[in-house]
Amino acid sequence: MEKRKSTESRRKFLKVSLGAFLSGALTSCDLSRFKNPKTMVKSPIGPNVLRPPGAVPEEHFAQKCIRCGRCGEVCPYHCIKYFDVKTGGVFSGTPYVNVMEKPCYLCMKCVYVCPTGSLVPCAKEDVRMGVAVINRQICVTWQQQKTGLMCKTCFDVCPFAGVAIKIDHDFRPYIVEENCTGCGICAYSCIADTWYENKGKKAITIMPIKWKKIKEIKLEDIKKS
Amino acid sequence: MARKSFWKRITIWRYLFLFVCFVIVVGNPFTNYYGDINFIQGWFQSLGVGNLWVVSPLEGVESILTAKAFYMPSLVGMVVPVTLAFLMGRVFCSWMCPIEFLSMLTDKILGLVPKWGNKLKYRPDLIRLSKRLLWFALVTELLLTMIVGYPLFVWWSPPGLVGRETMFYVFYKHVTIELTIVVVVLLLNLLTRRMFCRYFCPLGALLALIGKWRQLVIRYDAGVCVGCKVCDSRCPMGIKPSVGESQSVYCWNCAECVDACPTNALNFTWRDKGVLKVPSPPVALGKKT
Repeated sequence: MEKRKSTESRRKFLKVSLGAFLSGALTSCDLSRFKNPKTMVKSPIGPNVLRPPGAVPEEHFAQKCIRCGRCGEVCPYHCIKYFDVKTGGVFSGTPYVNVMEKPCYLCMKCVYVCPTGSLVPCAKEDVRMGVAVINRQICVTWQQQKTGLMCKTCFDVCPFAGVAIKIDHDFRPYIVEENCTGCGICAYSCIADTWYENKGKKAITIMPIKWKKIKEIKLEDIKKS
Repeated sequence: MARKSFWKRITIWRYLFLFVCFVIVVGNPFTNYYGDINFIQGWFQSLGVGNLWVVSPLEGVESILTAKAFYMPSLVGMVVPVTLAFLMGRVFCSWMCPIEFLSMLTDKILGLVPKWGNKLKYRPDLIRLSKRLLWFALVTELLLTMIVGYPLFVWWSPPGLVGRETMFYVFYKHVTIELTIVVVVLLLNLLTRRMFCRYFCPLGALLALIGKWRQLVIRYDAGVCVGCKVCDSRCPMGIKPSVGESQSVYCWNCAECVDACPTNALNFTWRDKGVLKVPSPPVALGKKT
């Protein structure tokens, strides 16, 4: 009898602990998304929060990545960060670059250490982490009638200046989307947030895109996204 | 009880090896962050040493299962651990795993308690489950992984988390809530020695499965055994070498029983020694006694 009682309570304990573990794992996903298994889990990638260079499309990234953290360890600028279970759910442990905290300087060290092909080795100019989008209402040079400023910071810092960012006859910058790597240096160093009317908003945002190779990109796709 | 001299004990080398592995895994975020020395990167999900890289088998399999695509470098990375498991069984668990190092450390610290030291160190199991649970843990893990569509063990694997939390602490100066998994695993170890490793670890299950036909086994010599059952109490995996269980799948070659045995009835041996043994006639045995 005594023995039986003890096994019963043990079973209860095991059941409860298993249930707690499972529910903890499940609550990290958005329950409303269980309707469609394809979108069961929502990717935490969004504007200014991007995958490191050379990443495979986002729908495959978290499946391939084994969260070994080697990309973050070799990154000399320490700009690669990792989601945890609170911010990423099942994406916990996958790398991201938040360009507002620290942009990617395209040293291309991370792509050579990835063991699972989540980051595929590629040339600097073939990187497509995202695409820069200039908000012309906020950019101080585009609003030069109002601000009287002529800033070309984004043009100066861009690693592909003149190719990815060009300036027109009024020194107003515009993005050549086919060539933009999405490294985010321009967004990081944009000074529009110091202009008092912008209330801390930066003029450039890096929007994530779904494709990688330069040849596959069509301009309409970028405009759609 | 005659004990082996200090340096002849295999467990001493095991503790040293565990310590070295732990230092490598915990130390490499420091060298990467402060020294920018990238010679060693990662931890036991994927460890890169120079140009060699090693991918843990279960994590690699999960990534293949969910991505439904092969990637050659990750397959190549799995060759070394799988070969090791084929040769020596679960030696990763007993000789390298940082969780085993921490569990071993808690055991040693408990052993320092005066009076009850030995009783705490070799504590009897409070919760004893069926050993077969290990296989179901592996199957459940793979099933859940494929249902969710994202690899799961890659983020909750306790040995990986030891490395990841250290890296988070060094690089980003915070730890995440996943650290609780490590703490829970170490607390389970207090209830039953290596409870997680015995019953729930899918990686251990996979390695044990591969190591079923391992070459390095612990041989039990019934002729020399005096039946003191010291080995049974010492075994952290809760198996009984004294009844010949030492060659079962559940043994992880940690050599605790080898060192504890007072009569050397338990010894490491390679299964195939290249010599055909002719069974000795029973007459010779009869003469001896």
